[in-house]
Amino acid sequence: MKTTFKGAALAGMCLLFIVSGCSGGTNESASNESPSDKTSPSEPADPFGAYEEPITIRIGQVVDPTDTSLPEGDTPLDNQYTRSVKENLNIDVEHYFTAAPANYDQKVSLAIASNDLPDAMVVGAVEVRQMYESGQLEDLTEVYENYASPTIKQIIDGTGEIALGSATFDGKLMAIPNIQVQADGVHTLWIRQDWLDKLGLEPPQTVAALEEVARAFVEDDPDGNGQADTIGLSGPDTNGHLYATFLRSTNNSFGLDGIFSAYEAYPGYWLEDDNGDTVYGSILPETKEALAKLRDMYANGLIDKEMAVRSDASELVAGGKSGMFFGPWWMGYGAVADAIKDNPDANWQAYALPLNENGEYTPHLGTPTGTYLVVRKGYEHPEAAMKIVNNYLKEEPTFDESKGGLGMYPLRIIYSPLDTIEYSLKAIREVLAGNKTPEDYAGDEKYPLLVSDLETVKIVKKEPYDDMDIEHWDPEADMGIWSRIYSIMVGGAPLADTEYTGVYSQIYSQTSLMQQRWVNLQKMEDETFLKIIMGTEPLDTFDTFVEDWKSQGGTQITEEVAELATQ
Amino acid sequence: MVNKGFAKHYYLMMLPGLIWLFMFSVLPMFGIVIAFQDYNPVQGMLGSKFVGLDTFEYMFSLNDTASIFFNTIFIAVMKIVGNLIIPLIFALMLNELRHMFIKRSIQTIVYLPHFLSWVILGGILLDIFSYQGPVNQLLSAFGFDPVLFFGRADLFPFLVVGSDIWKEFGFNTIIYLAALTGINTALYEAAAIDGASRQRMLWHITLPGIRTTVILLAVLGLGNVLNAGFDQIFNLYNPLVYSTGDIIDTWVYRAGLLNMQYELATAVGLLKSVAGFILISLSYFLAYRFTNYRIF
Repeated sequence: MKTTFKGAALAGMCLLFIVSGCSGGTNESASNESPSDKTSPSEPADPFGAYEEPITIRIGQVVDPTDTSLPEGDTPLDNQYTRSVKENLNIDVEHYFTAAPANYDQKVSLAIASNDLPDAMVVGAVEVRQMYESGQLEDLTEVYENYASPTIKQIIDGTGEIALGSATFDGKLMAIPNIQVQADGVHTLWIRQDWLDKLGLEPPQTVAALEEVARAFVEDDPDGNGQADTIGLSGPDTNGHLYATFLRSTNNSFGLDGIFSAYEAYPGYWLEDDNGDTVYGSILPETKEALAKLRDMYANGLIDKEMAVRSDASELVAGGKSGMFFGPWWMGYGAVADAIKDNPDANWQAYALPLNENGEYTPHLGTPTGTYLVVRKGYEHPEAAMKIVNNYLKEEPTFDESKGGLGMYPLRIIYSPLDTIEYSLKAIREVLAGNKTPEDYAGDEKYPLLVSDLETVKIVKKEPYDDMDIEHWDPEADMGIWSRIYSIMVGGAPLADTEYTGVYSQIYSQTSLMQQRWVNLQKMEDETFLKIIMGTEPLDTFDTFVEDWKSQGGTQITEEVAELATQ
Repeated sequence: MVNKGFAKHYYLMMLPGLIWLFMFSVLPMFGIVIAFQDYNPVQGMLGSKFVGLDTFEYMFSLNDTASIFFNTIFIAVMKIVGNLIIPLIFALMLNELRHMFIKRSIQTIVYLPHFLSWVILGGILLDIFSYQGPVNQLLSAFGFDPVLFFGRADLFPFLVVGSDIWKEFGFNTIIYLAALTGINTALYEAAAIDGASRQRMLWHITLPGIRTTVILLAVLGLGNVLNAGFDQIFNLYNPLVYSTGDIIDTWVYRAGLLNMQYELATAVGLLKSVAGFILISLSYFLAYRFTNYRIF
C-alpha cells in the first residue's frame, strides 16, 4: 500500500516536472522568435532607434531615499531621465527592485542567490562571474556588436583589451563594461587651505610634514572656536575601507591610501617584485612600515580617533571638523559641497601629496572598468539595455541635474575616456585664458559634457581665473555646475599638473580559488590592519598575519594570480 | 465521550498555528541541503552538485567558527543571567514600595525602552559612548583618559549585555510583579503576627513564592541561548569588535548575504540549529525536573 502510494507520488512529480519543463521550453522559444522577427537581420541595427511598439524593461536600481532633488510631481519612475528613455526609444522602464545606495549590493546578491532577477541591472566584477557561472546571463556579444553606439565602442576600445576582456568568458561577451576616468583611482590629499593659511603652514610635502600639519590642526584651534574639537586627518567610517584594493580600486574616500603610497606600500594590490614574481602588496615589509607610521599617528591623535566606529566620515568634512582627508577628484560633488553650504570659507584644495622618500608622487591606479551592465538570460530585448545606455551618453549634456541627480537615470553606467578630467581641465583653462572658445571643442562625442562645461564655467568661477581659492568662486550661482567645475579644476589639477608614476595591480578580478577563500583572507587583513593602526594589537601581529595569510590559501591564490597575469 | 468531542475543537483551533509553523519553520528546513552542495542559484537546491562534507571541513578550519560560537554563548548566557537577576531585584524593591503612584510611575518609565527598536537605540548609544559624548566627558571630568568604547573588543560584549539589560529589565520586572501578586497575603499576616521582620518575610515567603517563575524563565532562556540578539549587535558593531562581538547570526548574515558564501553560511546556520535543538531539549527536561512544567 505504502509503496504504491510512493510510486504514484513519484510518478506524479515526474510528470509535473516534465510538463512544466515542456511548457517552459515552448514559452521561451515562442518569445525568442517574436523579437527576432521584428529586428530581422535585413533591417540595420540602430543604436538610437525607437521601438515601434512600446516595450518594457524591469530593472534593479539605486534609489536614494534621502535624495530630494526631484522636482514636485516627479518620481523615481517618472522624471526627465525615464521620459527621455520613453520618448527617444519607446521603452517603458519599470522597477523590479530598488534599494538605497548602501543596500544595493545586498539586494543584488539576494536576487542572484534566489535567481529572481530583473531584466537588466548594473553589478560589479565579482557578481558578473558569479552570474556567468550560474548561467544567469544573456550572451551580449551580438548586442554589443550591433547596438553599442560608435562613441561607446571608441571609448571601450581606448582601453585596449582590458575592458572587454574582463567581461568575456569563453569567448562570449557576457556583460557590458563601463569605462571610468583614471582620476577615479587616484586618491589625492584634500586639505583646508584656510586652516593652513591661518596657522602659517605650507601644504605637507612629506609624511613627516603631514604629521606636523595634522598636529597643528588638532592642537592650534584652526577653526578659532576656542575648543579642541578638530581632527587632523580623517579616517574611514564603519563601512569604509583603509585603502582601495584590486577588487574595489577606485573611488575610495576617507581611506589612508596616500600614506601607504608615500611608503611605496600598495596593500590590496597584486604587484611584481624585483625578480618579476607576483606578490601581494599587503604582506610586504613596506606595508608594515606604513602601518607602523599610521599606528604612531593614530596614537598621537593625528588621525580621527573614532575612525572605523563612525557611521559617516563625510560629516566631519561637511561640519568643518576635519582638516585633511584622502579622496578622489570628485569630492566637490560630495562632502566638500556640503562643507561650503555650511561655511562659505571652507577652502578645500587638493594636492598630489605626500611624496615618497625620493620626492615622487606614486599613487596606486584603479582599473578602468569597475561596473558592468548585465542582462538576464531569456530577456526578449537584450539590446534595449544597450540602447538605454547609448541614450544616456547622447543626452547627458541636456539633462538638468538640479531636477534629479544623474543616479536616477535607469541602468546608468559611466563611459568616460580615461583622461576626461585632465583633458577637460586643460580645455577649461584654455577657454578661461581666452585662447580658445567653447565652439572649438564642439563635436567631440567622447567628451559629451565638455562643451556645456566650457559654456557654464564663468557662472561659478570668478576672476582671477587662475586662483582656485574659494573666495574666487560663486557656488550659490548654481550648485550643480559648481560641483562639477570645482571638482575638475581643483580635484583634477593635481593629476593634470603633476608628473606621477602610478602603480597598477596585476589583475583587477577574481581567480577561481579566490571565490571560496578571498572573503576570509580579506576579513583577516581588514581587521588586523585596523587593529594595528588603532593600537589594540601590537605591530608584530603583522608577522602572524603574513603567516596566516599564506597558510590559509594566500600562497595558492598568488600562484593563480601569477598564472593569470602572465597570460 | 462528550469530553473527547469537546477536545477536538481545541485541536482544530491549533490548525492555523500548525499551518503557520509548517510554512515558515518546516518548509525552509529543506534549505539545509545547501550546506552539502556547491550551491548554484540557477540550478537551485534540486540541481546543484553535492559535495558532501567539504563545506564543514572548511568551516572548522576557519578561526572564526570557534570564536563566533563562543561569543554567541558568552553574550547570551550573560544576558540570561542579567535579565533574570536584575529585574528580580528591581521587582522586589518595587514591591516594598507602598506608595502606589510612585510605584506605577517608576514601572512605566523603566519599561519604555522595551518599545524602542535597536536601530534607534543603537544610534543613541553610539552617540552617548562616542569620544565627545557625555560618558567620556564625565570620565575626563574625573581626570581619566577618554575611551573609544565601541572600538574596544574587550568591552564590547559587556556593553552589549549592559544595554540589553537596560532595555529589557523594566519589561521583565512586570512578570515578577505579576508573580508576586499571586502570593497569598495571609502568609504575610501570619508571619507578622509571629513577629517576622521584613527581611525574614522576603526570605521565607516572597522568594519561595516566585521560585517557580524564576526557574521557568531561566530554563526557557536556555532554549534561546543561541539567539544572542541580531538586531542589537548589527546596529552596534564595527570591524574592530568582530573578534568578540560577532555572533552566529551576524556572521551568517555577512558571509551569506554580503559575501555570497551561501554554503558556508548555511553550514554554520545548521550547526547553530543542531546546538539549539540540544539546548531546547535540555531546558525542557530541566523545566520538568524543577518546576513540573511540561507540554506533552
